[in-house]
Amino acid sequence: MTDLTMDAAMPFLAHGSHRIRYEISGPETGPAYVLVNGLTQYSELWATYRETLVTQNFGIVTFDLLGQGESDKPTLFIGQDDHVAVLRLLIAKLGDRPIFLAGISFGGIIALRYAIEYGETLAGLVPMSTFSELPPQLFLLGNAMRTGLILGGTGYLQDMLLPMNLSDAWLAPLMDKLDTVKRQGWLVNDLYALQNLMESFLDFQPLTSQLHRIQLPTMILNGEFDFLTPRALHETLRAHIPDSALIIIPRAYHAFTLEKAALTADLLARFANDVLEERWNGGGAVRIAPEEAGGEIIPFPAEFDHLRAIPARKAAP
Amino acid sequence: MSQFLGPLDQAGRVPPRQQTRVAAFLVSAHGALARRLAFALPGQMKAGWQTELNAQFYRESETVSLLLRATSWTPDLELLLLTPSWEAAWLPAPASGVSDVALAHTIDIAALGHAVQAAIRPAALLPDNAPAQDPFVMALRRIEFESGRLMQAQILFLKGQELLPHRDAVNAAVEHRHRQVGDLWDAMLKSIGVERDLAPP
Repeated sequence: MTDLTMDAAMPFLAHGSHRIRYEISGPETGPAYVLVNGLTQYSELWATYRETLVTQNFGIVTFDLLGQGESDKPTLFIGQDDHVAVLRLLIAKLGDRPIFLAGISFGGIIALRYAIEYGETLAGLVPMSTFSELPPQLFLLGNAMRTGLILGGTGYLQDMLLPMNLSDAWLAPLMDKLDTVKRQGWLVNDLYALQNLMESFLDFQPLTSQLHRIQLPTMILNGEFDFLTPRALHETLRAHIPDSALIIIPRAYHAFTLEKAALTADLLARFANDVLEERWNGGGAVRIAPEEAGGEIIPFPAEFDHLRAIPARKAAP
Repeated sequence: MSQFLGPLDQAGRVPPRQQTRVAAFLVSAHGALARRLAFALPGQMKAGWQTELNAQFYRESETVSLLLRATSWTPDLELLLLTPSWEAAWLPAPASGVSDVALAHTIDIAALGHAVQAAIRPAALLPDNAPAQDPFVMALRRIEFESGRLMQAQILFLKGQELLPHRDAVNAAVEHRHRQVGDLWDAMLKSIGVERDLAPP
């Protein structure tokens, strides 16, 4: 029977003078997943993962990044190094157990940075909808989002992100309830704090040249239709992280951890079990996830180019 | 305690006692900013950023004027004690560790502005069912929306190259003003049965 004794109501971790709200669920020993939020998220959005993975005997750690949700919000300056330092503290609290680190989008970068610096403390890494450099499209999109936040507030940023990051299938039944969908995120995220998080990219240095330092099993997840962080950005991760595989999530956009939570949680569990049972062999493979949890993960057809949206044959080497 | 204002009265309004207390606090804070900007403006006639100061002055004045008109005021004797304590808090507190006195005062004005415009989110107090066309509801939403834009001038100044040598002093000044404004705002809200730090449902 699963031991839930580690469930604790909103404990806080001290990072300097700041408090970080975190939550640990599930068994006190055995493998654990640490889940890192995207920019406008808060830790409650991982509820499905907690429910699914705890029943499979994983410990689950969620937290609000510095500047998010119930964690402290530094008034002017938040560096990405601060988030890495918080992760270091949080992971150290978990003791000697296999730790898997997964992060989405902004959180994916923090996870990559942590894995580059402290990979030896991890058993596996799952970067999702993320990137190691800022090519022009993403840089300009980021700037447009920052301007949108400044001129139109958090609500406008949410208005931009919802249709960019979620599918018609997810949005259609919620069209008359979108204000409710956005409200909790709007309530817990303050404009100045979001702006500080975004401005931590103003001096962003590409991570690509350091990715080879990630010497641990790595499952890269990318939505089929993610145009905010498209396939090419994940391809960079696949090409430079030695023991990695790229898994494409069918019909998914940037925020597939919200839209396809059951499927993603299942993929996380399967990855961790493969690593723990020494079945994992990333090998730079490209694979296609199933449509539903529990389905078969299949190889991307070898003769086709996985960077194209049409079935173009691979160029001869 | 509730995370939001209310319950709404029979007319669908935020209760006048809550309106009065919230509006009195906001008038005090934004009025103080308007006064300090009014004093700062004449000394900046040749500065390029007087454009921004001028806009800030009129926006802060507009916030005060809007609240005076949109609030359903009701007698509140406790304000006789509360208002002087709020006003005392807004008095100039030049940033410590900055030897240029004028600059230390300017940092303090920007720090107070950042705190009032960033840490106070009046629209986040409104319950889900607050009527969108109610004057007080519209006023709180407008103040929060405009505050998001107004704080950009403070951010540009406080994070700007000119203040990089004073980064620690600037950070300390802004953190201090945020704590001060946040504590007073929280205490005022508790006095009308609202606690903004309640856990999300």
